[in-house]
Amino acid sequence: MENLGSVALILAFCFAVYSVLASLIGKWRDKPFLTVSGQRAVYTVFALVSAASGILLYALIAGDYRLSYVASHTNKAMAIHYKFAAWWGGQEGSLLLWAFLLSAYSAVVVFTNRRKFRDMMPWVISVLMLTEAFFLMLDTFVLSPFQVFEAGRGNIVNLGDGQGLNPLLQYWTMVIHPPMLYLGYVGFTVPFAFAFASLVTKQPGDAWIATTRRWTIITWLFQTTGIILGAGWAYAVLGWGGYWAWDPVENASLLPWITATAFLHSVMMQEKKGMMKVWNMVLISGTFFLCIFGTFLTRSGVVSSVHAFAQSSIGKYFVAFLAIGIAGTIYLILDRLQYLKSESHLESVLSRESSFLFNNLILLASCFAVLWGTLFPVLSEAVTGDKISVDKPFYDRINIPIGLFLLFLTGVGPLIAWRKSSFESLKRAFLWPTVLGASLMIGLAAGGVRHPYALVSFGLCLFVATTVLMEFYKGSRAISAKQGKNLLLGAIELTHRNTRRYGGYVVHMGIVIMFVGFTGAAFNRDATVEVARGTETDIGGYHLKIADIQDGENDNFAWDKALVTVSKNGQVIGTMEPERRLYKASKQPTSEVAIRRRLNEDLYLNFAGMSADNTKAVIQSYVFPLVSWIWIGYWVLLAGTLVCLVPPKVRLQYARTEVVGIAGKHATVEK
Amino acid sequence: MICLAQSSSQLLTPDIKRVGGRLACLCGTCKNTVGDCPMLECHYTKPAREKIAKLQALGTPDDEIVKSFVQQQGLQALSAPPTTGFSGLAWIMPWVAIGLGLCAIYLFIQKFHPKRATAGAPEIDSETLARYRANIDKDLEKLD
Repeated sequence: MENLGSVALILAFCFAVYSVLASLIGKWRDKPFLTVSGQRAVYTVFALVSAASGILLYALIAGDYRLSYVASHTNKAMAIHYKFAAWWGGQEGSLLLWAFLLSAYSAVVVFTNRRKFRDMMPWVISVLMLTEAFFLMLDTFVLSPFQVFEAGRGNIVNLGDGQGLNPLLQYWTMVIHPPMLYLGYVGFTVPFAFAFASLVTKQPGDAWIATTRRWTIITWLFQTTGIILGAGWAYAVLGWGGYWAWDPVENASLLPWITATAFLHSVMMQEKKGMMKVWNMVLISGTFFLCIFGTFLTRSGVVSSVHAFAQSSIGKYFVAFLAIGIAGTIYLILDRLQYLKSESHLESVLSRESSFLFNNLILLASCFAVLWGTLFPVLSEAVTGDKISVDKPFYDRINIPIGLFLLFLTGVGPLIAWRKSSFESLKRAFLWPTVLGASLMIGLAAGGVRHPYALVSFGLCLFVATTVLMEFYKGSRAISAKQGKNLLLGAIELTHRNTRRYGGYVVHMGIVIMFVGFTGAAFNRDATVEVARGTETDIGGYHLKIADIQDGENDNFAWDKALVTVSKNGQVIGTMEPERRLYKASKQPTSEVAIRRRLNEDLYLNFAGMSADNTKAVIQSYVFPLVSWIWIGYWVLLAGTLVCLVPPKVRLQYARTEVVGIAGKHATVEK
Repeated sequence: MICLAQSSSQLLTPDIKRVGGRLACLCGTCKNTVGDCPMLECHYTKPAREKIAKLQALGTPDDEIVKSFVQQQGLQALSAPPTTGFSGLAWIMPWVAIGLGLCAIYLFIQKFHPKRATAGAPEIDSETLARYRANIDKDLEKLD
């Protein structure tokens, strides 16, 4: 079976290389049969990688402990869904998942564009399949998931059982968090491939953007979902209630998300005004390479991280791929500058165009700060020989002010008119949001809130929320007055007319709600106590009584559990059962925290273990104000993004203001 | 039973957390500080907290405690890079990047501002202008 898997991967690698060559030679020598053959090779690659993935999954679920990968990441005691998740639980399997998703995406791209973009498609396929070949090369020749245990030459050993998946990964979000993140990482290859092909073929228009717009939004949504699921996993599993620790691997997932967010904004400038073409090329290329860079960080051992796979030798391959890819892309952009000239000019500093520039600047500054912080320890050691640590205090001090300014722009940008805004119109748009935001800050300060960033953040959240709601209200009121509908129906009609704009506002609202949740962290409380059965303790208005301490075991793990009766204002409000497990196969302890989730705050209990004399339970108790709003904000963001994907009811045509002397095209775009 | 050594939880006083917040947990996997590392039996954080408690009992000021960790572990003992020397770059560069970005935006605005953008444009001769005006009149007539 393992031989079939290996052969499938080798064949897939060969077909990927063939697809690149056939596409390019077919295009170069004008041989349509070769380009078509190159396209069909993409389907073959997909079929072969699917077969290899299927074989690995079968081995994981059936428990073929002759395979090193299976024995290292599963055992008999594991539930079937975690055996499935072991596919991406290790280095080799996760590389295979990358290859599988890219082959699937490539097949979809080829199928949906089979009668379009005859000029660009050979290049699109080449970029996709070159990337695919790179990952297949790693999975075939460097780290094969089908490696068997051998005792002497040809003597295959069956271990009978395995070590099991890392217990920290045996949590439901871990079954979907990595695939979501990978769907994001891998998905950005497609818009990059179209952008690259557009450059190579000197496309005069914005076809690549129109084609990949929905793709980019969906990919961005996957990436967002992956990041939030990861945050949710950290919150519920690691036992300290944090959802973001500025770990290098977490940062690696955030970097392409930030550049992709910048791209989703600045691309509107290109669609509507024919501006920022070079910048958009840089952003989408940067996003793709940051995805590869993130994959490299997780696997190379360059940085230490709780999430990283074991140190391996594959880092040098990623460095080579990144170096060649980045150099090639920079050369191509510089060589094609004359095709990327702006078609419009900036008419006023007080304009939507300007706000996009600032939005991009701040997003990129945030991206740079995170990248800089992640790599600075490596740089410092290389330059000075001193190891240094760059942890949460650094990121908080740099990124909180940047994040707050970004939040401010989230409110300001959409209300400034395209081309030019007058002082009067700005006053009309921002008077009430400013008054309300400032009032909230004053009110909170008067109420005893002294945390400056928290005050500013809450004020800005209300400011932005008001601007968004006012936009909906004004539009809905106009529609309801004209068509005799109520405000709710008016809002639905308004959104349907311009789904991208109003879906975007809903996304902004989701971000605001998430900021409310982030800001709650300024008021976290915690206490760690050793408590015997029957003893009581207090935290943040809650009264905790240890009703019982139990222990037990099953095939997979041994456990200790505390039964904690929780009271508030003298009323019993429930029993919580934080648990500590020790997994037998890996000898690794994990926490099964108990969380009482409410909109105003979460009560979070972690059973840290037993005291040395085995008579007391060590309980870490935390109160996390407003943290639920982070997850609620995500659902709002998800809804907004889905609205953006709905085709608009009305398509509007906007002529671009041309720069004198440049032959620009008038584009058909949605407002 | 999973047992912990005695008094790990007693090392989480506000004073220890305050100093611990300036020190990185060097266990090799997490990115927490000694002040907020949740693993009570962490092989780095626990002795670090014990050391802080001992020095505080002797009346050692916070800065001296931090300095003693730096002498022992090097700069990596700090949870954030120092603001001086090469490490100062860690703090400066993000703001330099924003400054450069603002300069880039300024240049962009200058380049694409209508006054500048049209400054070098060729003058339109009267014949072409007349033709354009005739076209506009024609279009306006159609609207009527």
